[in-house]
Amino acid sequence: MSISCSELSKVYEGGKAGWPALLGVSFEIKPGEFTAVTGPSGCGKSTLLNILGLLDEPTGGRYLLNGRDILEMSDGERSDFRRDQIGFIFQSFNLLNRLPALGNVCLPMMYAGIQNAEMQHRAHALLAKVGLKGKEKKTPLELSGGERQRVAIARALANSPKIILADEPTGNLDSASSREIMDMLLQLNAEGITVIMVTHDKELAARARRNLRMKDGRLEA
Amino acid sequence: MRSLFNAARTGIREIRVHKMRSVLSFMAIAVGSVVFIDSFAAIFSTYDRLQKQKEVSGIARLKITQDYNQTSADPDQYTPPPVITYDDAVSLKSKLPGLYMVSPEFQSWRNTLEFEGKRVVTTLAGVTPEWAKRDFVYTLKGRFLDWHDVENKLRVCVLVRKAVPPPTNELNKTRMKQWDYTAAFDVLVSHSDMLGKTIKLDDVTFTVIGILEELPASRAPDIILPQNRDYKVLAPVTTLAHYGFIDEENDSMDLSVDAGDENNFGESLKLVENFLKIRFGGDESFLIDNQMEMIKDAIDASIKASLVTISLGMLAFLAGGIGIMNVTLATVFARTKEIGIRRAVGASRGDIMLQFIVEAAMLGLIGGVLGSVLGYVWGVPVKEMLGLGRSPIKLWMPAVSVLIATFTAFVFAIYPAWVAASLKPADALRTE
Repeated sequence: MSISCSELSKVYEGGKAGWPALLGVSFEIKPGEFTAVTGPSGCGKSTLLNILGLLDEPTGGRYLLNGRDILEMSDGERSDFRRDQIGFIFQSFNLLNRLPALGNVCLPMMYAGIQNAEMQHRAHALLAKVGLKGKEKKTPLELSGGERQRVAIARALANSPKIILADEPTGNLDSASSREIMDMLLQLNAEGITVIMVTHDKELAARARRNLRMKDGRLEA
Repeated sequence: MRSLFNAARTGIREIRVHKMRSVLSFMAIAVGSVVFIDSFAAIFSTYDRLQKQKEVSGIARLKITQDYNQTSADPDQYTPPPVITYDDAVSLKSKLPGLYMVSPEFQSWRNTLEFEGKRVVTTLAGVTPEWAKRDFVYTLKGRFLDWHDVENKLRVCVLVRKAVPPPTNELNKTRMKQWDYTAAFDVLVSHSDMLGKTIKLDDVTFTVIGILEELPASRAPDIILPQNRDYKVLAPVTTLAHYGFIDEENDSMDLSVDAGDENNFGESLKLVENFLKIRFGGDESFLIDNQMEMIKDAIDASIKASLVTISLGMLAFLAGGIGIMNVTLATVFARTKEIGIRRAVGASRGDIMLQFIVEAAMLGLIGGVLGSVLGYVWGVPVKEMLGLGRSPIKLWMPAVSVLIATFTAFVFAIYPAWVAASLKPADALRTE
């Protein structure tokens, strides 16, 4: 799964001229790369990640995902792409608190129409992989921050995605948990998954193979 | 199918988690359901009543009376209008045998009745057996007048025993005393066993051969045109003429006619007019009351009243539906973040829409079932307790009501669900 962006821009509506978040960003990411996007807050990192994850649309430029222009995709196709090819990990976990860990991991598989037995089996396996065996029935509110993020990783892996997009995955975690999550991401990358991680933690960024530094909506050289 | 099942599962969880919200939604729809069932039952009881009324009263009715209001430019030239006699009735029946009923009626308003030394004021009606063919809302003890009585001018009579009047207030009681000059008659008839005994009507001896008992108000079928129903004593019209109760030269009878077939009513009306023209040299001396028109008006009025009721039921559903819309919209805004999360993990717009619509339809379904139960409780035990009479609730009424409740909720959830599906995933995720 290759990613290619050229002159990507995003202007949010509001005010006379709108509010520019991205001002022409161009880069390419090859399959299997581990890329960290760093920069001060408000520099457009999250906006870029949302666009890369098809949660938002650019207002200018081109974004080719696996050779396809995402602006030409229908909403349904983008939903399918998010479901099957992309896994998200958010700073605030974004788990459904009403569902147990198992239910959260099942969610993407539910939308993929996977049979119940298969879904349960895979969710158990994924939770075991992230070290949460025995905590399948716990709701996010009963889990620690690090555990919640591991549920989120298990969820991101549910439909065997090609890309993991992580938006400040360790922003709400202590340093021990942060290291564990980072180890997990590196492990996944080693298994062949493309990882793009937004962070402003320089230490974590240093462990990534490639760094994209952003400032004021542009990439620094 | 799977996604529908998943949406239903999510819906059940949401309904369980938000108990207050769900209960309020159920109530909104349930109230609509109750009103709907109640109005449907009302329509059916009206319909039933109309059917019974039609059977009892007939439809193709007309009434011929002498036109008293004859005017003449010169008082000396005034000739009184011709009177209708028993013979005219017999003649009409023989000329037009197709008529279901030709009932000659003569009312005498102030007579005395003497029984075992008691004298009371009564009214007297001269009739034939034809009288009993329509508007017969009594139970009969003994027998009614027959043609033998009429042809032989026998001194026999039938008395009407009033049903216990429904409870009334003091003002009405005073008024009744003031106006009801035959109250003593009613008391006498209800407290004495007069069947088979002899009585004196204005000093002529009659034998009581039958008692007509009015049914209690709650069970009596209504008659569509209830005017002049205050019968007390019924005797053969020929007997009354023979013994001087009727002055056949001057007293005109009314002819109550049922043409039998409402489709031929116009034709029957023409034939009756023709008959009067031939027999009396013109029909302007008589009034022909087209009672069918009045009856049809009365029926139309009942049906219109029912339509008002059913529209109230539909309005109640509409109100319930708007309630559901409101709740669903509020739910969408409360769960924007969740919508964002679901979209991020791959839910399509259709998935989100389905989820909210299914949830609302379930609220409607449960509300409809609840409303059906409440509707039954209100319509049968509660109404009976309040003395309103039980509603004739048929099994399909709750079923239809549940369907409409679900459908209403479904329709009113479409807009909120569309709002939910139109949220941009990134925007939805950003909300807290």
